[in-house]
Amino acid sequence: MGKLISAIGVRVLLAVLIVVALGPILWTVLGAFKELRDIVTPVPKLVFEPTLDNFATILRNPTIRDGLLHSAIVVSVSVLIGALLGIPAAHVLARHARRYGDDVQFFVLSLRFMPPVAIAIPFIVIYLDLGIYDTLFGLILVYLITTISTVIWLAVPAFERVPQNIEEAAAMEGCGPAEIFWRFSLPVAAPSLFGALVFTFVLVWNELLLALTLAAQNATLPVVAASITSLGKEVPWGVINAATVVLVLPPLVFIGLLMGLLNTMVRSGPK
Amino acid sequence: MANISCTDIVKSYGAHPVIEGMNLDIPDHEFVVFLGPSGCGKSTMLRMIAGLEEVTGGRIVIGGTDVTTLPPGERGVAMVFQSYALYPHMSVADNITFGLRRQGIARAEIAPRLAHVAQMLGLEPYLDRKPKNLSGGQQQRVAMARAMIKTPKVFLFDEPLSNLDAKLREKLRTEIRKMHLQLKTTTIFVTHDQLEAMTIADRIVLMRDGRIEQMGSPDEIFERPATRFVADFIGTPAMNFLHATMQDGHVARAGNIALRLSPTDFPRLRPGQNVELGLRPARMKLCPEGTPGALTGTVVLVENMGAEGQVITDVDGHEMSFTTPAFRGLAIGDRVSFAIDPGHVHAFDPQSGHSLREE
Ligand SMILES: Nc1ncnc2c1ncn2[C@@H]1O[C@H](COP(=O)(O)OP(=O)(O)O)[C@@H](O)[C@H]1O
Ligand SMILES: [Mg+2]
Repeated sequence: MGKLISAIGVRVLLAVLIVVALGPILWTVLGAFKELRDIVTPVPKLVFEPTLDNFATILRNPTIRDGLLHSAIVVSVSVLIGALLGIPAAHVLARHARRYGDDVQFFVLSLRFMPPVAIAIPFIVIYLDLGIYDTLFGLILVYLITTISTVIWLAVPAFERVPQNIEEAAAMEGCGPAEIFWRFSLPVAAPSLFGALVFTFVLVWNELLLALTLAAQNATLPVVAASITSLGKEVPWGVINAATVVLVLPPLVFIGLLMGLLNTMVRSGPK
Repeated sequence: MANISCTDIVKSYGAHPVIEGMNLDIPDHEFVVFLGPSGCGKSTMLRMIAGLEEVTGGRIVIGGTDVTTLPPGERGVAMVFQSYALYPHMSVADNITFGLRRQGIARAEIAPRLAHVAQMLGLEPYLDRKPKNLSGGQQQRVAMARAMIKTPKVFLFDEPLSNLDAKLREKLRTEIRKMHLQLKTTTIFVTHDQLEAMTIADRIVLMRDGRIEQMGSPDEIFERPATRFVADFIGTPAMNFLHATMQDGHVARAGNIALRLSPTDFPRLRPGQNVELGLRPARMKLCPEGTPGALTGTVVLVENMGAEGQVITDVDGHEMSFTTPAFRGLAIGDRVSFAIDPGHVHAFDPQSGHSLREE
């Protein structure tokens, strides 16, 4: 009996924790579908007539629409290039240059010690000189520092966890280095690499400061979302909520796509 | 099928030499075991033959082809690792057939070969499973099937049984041996377990610190150890050693102990020469006290090994052990006498450790 009670207790506690953790997000999502008068009522409303007006407002608003598009381009390109360069580099570091690996990893990590402002100001000057200030290309370029370094930093341990004997067994079957990487190291390390990519994606998707300083017309979504909150007294809560949902959605879609890709990759080798 | 020939193989990691000039010829069909204590370079040697490590110097020839600089896949060898090294993202069937599929061999030809090896190793029920859902013994069978299906010229095993429990180890050992009798593929098998080596090998290559200490059939290694190191390494319970001085009449004396050595085996021993005697516990027998050449001491410990027992005795301050089926009649503190046939006494040079036996 005591066991049962404690089991129930644990479940209740877990349920409470989940509600506390997810509550704000849920409230935001609900708010995105409410009209303003349903949001500002003194008594919170759970039952209301849902509306897509907020989303319509956002997607009709060219600033937000462009922000979304810019974010999508900048983030996907910088994560993609970061993965294409960072993952093979990490494999080489993990397998063939272990003695340099720790130094490289620390260097990469040290890039993240620097306050972003310290990077941003010199970059403004350089970018103005080069004529790439306020361009998507310029933003992608700075983000590449983050994406390549983060991918390497997280992928080296992922590849180190791949048993070396597996790669050797593949070599015994006649696979060359590229084939071993592609058919064995990558699929076996895939679950950890997946985490690394998601983390990197979220890192740059949420990036505000560099985007704020290095771009003006070509602002990304976080910049636009931040500017909505400073609209004055008449806060359009519904629109903000909808913007938040739009901001959160792409990482989720991205995770879904990546999972699908990995699942197909992780099948059985040549047919 | 192929013979293997290694000439003057040297391997060093930086300035640290691991293999120091190994010469080795393995005829076709032979089952060779690399035996030696941990860290003596067995795996390094095997991996150089496999092509997973580069040689620092020397030549490796397999089946008449110089493979010294060939990549592993072009040497016609298959390897089984201690850690199984199965591909975790593939099913058992895909693991086994990967190499064949990679070579572009037709499905219709692969299927019967897969069926054959799966049947041979009892893997039919598991072909659709992922490796992580198999026991250690089953995983090692998959690794063996993966090596076998390619019908390689040479099988290489690096301590394939060391991660398994004793009973399974014995079972798989027998299976590997049976498989070899059937396929006759030249095989190199690495182990640090001398009993495993004795039971499975046609020939044992006993290694120590990157060199070959002795090479020979299990019987030769057991009955004619070339050095004290070999004598000590082989055999359970371990050999008794005793420092003695030669006296007239080919008698070796250590305190009250006097043992006559065979003049035909040791013709060059001279009175006054120091020797280290080696006496196998299994070669000694209980005997009545007073028998000529018998050792007499008191029982210190009796270890029950089932059919036989190891009796550890104190003979004039030297600890000596012997095995006997009659151990149940002995108790600690008993006086006991035991003798060895002079033909089974080994004698080594105390300095060099080399056997003083003349062939
Ligand atoms: N990659 C390596 N770098 C440096 N030393 C190594 C390396 N691999 C093995 N060694 C050394 O070589 C020696 C032989 O190793 P190994 O062949 O694995 O021994 P065994 O298989 O007989 O236990 C050991 O002393 C080991 O420390
Ligand atoms: Mg080893």
